Amino acid sequence: MLSICPYFHVHQPFRIKKYRVFDIGNDNEYFNDGSDTDLNNRRIIEKVANKSYRPTNKILQELLDEHPDFRFALSFSGTVLDQFEAYAPDVLESFQRLVATGRVEILADTYHHSLAFFYSVPEFERQVTQHRKKIEKLFGVTPKVFRNTELSYRNDLAKWCEDNGYIGIMAEGWEKYLGWRSPNFVYQPPGCSKIKVLLKNYKLSDDVAFRFSNQGWASWPLSAETYADWIHSHHGGAETINLFMDYETFGEHQWEDTGIFNFLRALPKILTSRSDTVFRTPTETIKSYDSVGEIDVPDILTWADTDRDLTAWTGNDIQKDAIKSIYSMEEKVIKTKNKALIENWRKLQTSDHFYYMCTKWSEDGDVHAYFSPYQSPYDAYIAFMNALSDLQLRVSHALEIKESEATKRALKKEQTAKTEVEEIVPETKPVPVTPPSIWQKISLSVKKWSGSFINFIKAKRKN
Amino acid sequence: MKVLTFGWDFPPSRNGGLGVACLGLTRELTQEGIEVIFVLPRKQNTVGHTKFVFADKTSSKVTVREIDSGLTPYLATNNKLEYIDSYDSHGMPVIKSRTVLEEVHFFAHQASIIARQEDFDIIHAHDWTSFLAGVAAKEASHKPLILHVHATSFDQAAGDNVDPSIYKIECESFAAADQIFVVSNFTKNLIINKHGVDPEKVRVVHNGCDTYEPPKLEPTLSGLKQQGKKVILYHGRITIQKGVDYFIKAARRVVDVDPNVVFVISGWGDMTTQIINQVGENGLSSNVIFAGSLWEEERDRMYQSADLVVMPSVSEPFGLVPLEALQHGTASLISYQSGVGEVLSNVLKVDFWDVEEMANKILAAMRYPVLTNQIVSEGKIEMQKLSWREAAKKVVELYKNLLNYLTT
Repeated sequence: MLSICPYFHVHQPFRIKKYRVFDIGNDNEYFNDGSDTDLNNRRIIEKVANKSYRPTNKILQELLDEHPDFRFALSFSGTVLDQFEAYAPDVLESFQRLVATGRVEILADTYHHSLAFFYSVPEFERQVTQHRKKIEKLFGVTPKVFRNTELSYRNDLAKWCEDNGYIGIMAEGWEKYLGWRSPNFVYQPPGCSKIKVLLKNYKLSDDVAFRFSNQGWASWPLSAETYADWIHSHHGGAETINLFMDYETFGEHQWEDTGIFNFLRALPKILTSRSDTVFRTPTETIKSYDSVGEIDVPDILTWADTDRDLTAWTGNDIQKDAIKSIYSMEEKVIKTKNKALIENWRKLQTSDHFYYMCTKWSEDGDVHAYFSPYQSPYDAYIAFMNALSDLQLRVSHALEIKESEATKRALKKEQTAKTEVEEIVPETKPVPVTPPSIWQKISLSVKKWSGSFINFIKAKRKN
Repeated sequence: MKVLTFGWDFPPSRNGGLGVACLGLTRELTQEGIEVIFVLPRKQNTVGHTKFVFADKTSSKVTVREIDSGLTPYLATNNKLEYIDSYDSHGMPVIKSRTVLEEVHFFAHQASIIARQEDFDIIHAHDWTSFLAGVAAKEASHKPLILHVHATSFDQAAGDNVDPSIYKIECESFAAADQIFVVSNFTKNLIINKHGVDPEKVRVVHNGCDTYEPPKLEPTLSGLKQQGKKVILYHGRITIQKGVDYFIKAARRVVDVDPNVVFVISGWGDMTTQIINQVGENGLSSNVIFAGSLWEEERDRMYQSADLVVMPSVSEPFGLVPLEALQHGTASLISYQSGVGEVLSNVLKVDFWDVEEMANKILAAMRYPVLTNQIVSEGKIEMQKLSWREAAKKVVELYKNLLNYLTT
């Protein structure tokens, strides 16, 4: 039996607007570009929703309805979910309907699509928790299999996942670590006893994700039949073909006129025309197979560029400077306990900001330029550092206020202590009652709303 | 292959980028085995002989022909050029003058005489003042003509208010040429749109640069630097084409935020008085230094001492300044309206009219030294691909293709 285990990654960052030196100290909205450029986050969501999310979800829903055996997984960043809620709630609902079929698994992730694991494990843990809560709230499920930002992976991350109850984790099936071995089996990380690793078959995945519309490619145009043949040819020598790619492959990276939608629509039926071929979710795949051996990844492995390491995000000096600057703020930002400041800080951790600063002009430059809303990596760095400078100011300011309040309180305490000694009966003062903040109100109402929506979906499924 | 070239004085004649480009290209062409007959205007008041700075081993490949003419690049047609016509009975010179337009025609007449005397395969004329000479040489010899456009009347005018006589010469010469070399796609689009040139006739040959590591010079403005001042350099002619007025506006915005920044203007031109007034009106007298025209070692010292070089051109066919700055280890901010941006990624860019963004990027370059350091370190690597050698190789290819095309 050969498993096919697809997972589609859904993500949009909060892009930083053209934030200038003059804005530092005057403007704390870093992500609210209103222009008709690709820095306008609402505009991007609306554009990609029309080109990709809406038509693709419609096809996926049809496929799930028509093929009871069709299964796949999705991974969402919290930043894309936030933007769906704000700019395209119907898209979110269509994802919720897919998940409600019970045949679409959601993977664990960091909320802010960050590289936090490699810079601060405590912060990473906070973001994973935040993500889990968001998924539970919106979809009513708890992820069991982990995928980290940009498929970044290392032995110690797998260990962390095992220690935190995950049964599986995703990684790139890269020869440097596989050697002669095939990515089409389930492996185990060193030092772990339960967790299993699913490795991306990058050749077959990238045939769709990158090469599908490349007219210079020998296999262009790729038909669903040919692609199914390639997959079926692994029978006997493989257990699972893991197809991991950006969700936006469908309609956004590969436009509708490339035939990508027809390809997607046709594929499940052709693949399962052989009865020894089945779709499985990551959890099902992990439960179906034993590990065939250990995969040892001591250094960071990702799915990006020809290097498959972190150099797309931290390869040059401006990237290193930016990422160092953001993580060196951690202690102070957390100390403020100010939700808005912490949230801004986390949105600035999204890996895309560093990707835009990449200066690999030659080999992978085209891919980088395609994804970047800035005219140059240097423009990306300037906007980022300016916004970060403003955040640093706000954090210092918040801490100063906190400190002076603490001093005031301490002083007051001292005074009351003194008066207590002097006066036997102190005057009682009424305790001020703080009304619930606007945010608490909103989160309460969202909870109520999402709960009722999930019940509604559940009721529908029963019918 | 032998080429009859109409070019310009080489450095150290202090005429800006055109001489630099002629030297770089001709030097490397001879390295590629091309023989060059180099025709250039010789001013009567030149002391001694024009310095010809070729390496000894290649000098046999270059023949120099000079025409007595006061032509220099970057002139307007109504400028008067004075010359010594004869000497009177007391031995005093009789001074007469011609307009540039007359001079250009005189130059062309001399060119046709040279074209009949010399033997060559192809004609290559640099910039508008020698276009008519190229056309005349073509008529005299029936050899193919290449015009090399380093700047057009539209660049000089920074708009559509062009000198009609230059525009006429450009249009007629473009029509007569077999092929037109331009220094950027920016200029290619310009001559297609403004002069109605057939795109098929145009080839882009980006300028190159010297890629050797220059000597470290004694820093300049060290007094200011010791006070912690940052130095922003403008180097170029002070004309409407170069956008110096936008630079001053940006300076005002920068100084509002950071009074520790000093702006140095190296150059001279017909807008100098206006710019001096603008500096005064904006209360920038203590933040702007007029250094006059800096050349050679003085210029290089300034490049090396500056924290950032700005080239805010309104219309810049190529623009060698950011490459020269990089060579001396300094990052640049250039306008998007500059051809060099097509081949140089390690540079900051801004629309020349976007004063706010210009100021933002100057301030960012000062705030985040990691930024300018990386631009320089990666830029120096990138520059290696932009040598005159590469430009010359392309030119030789184009010569061969043109000759093949015309003879088959």
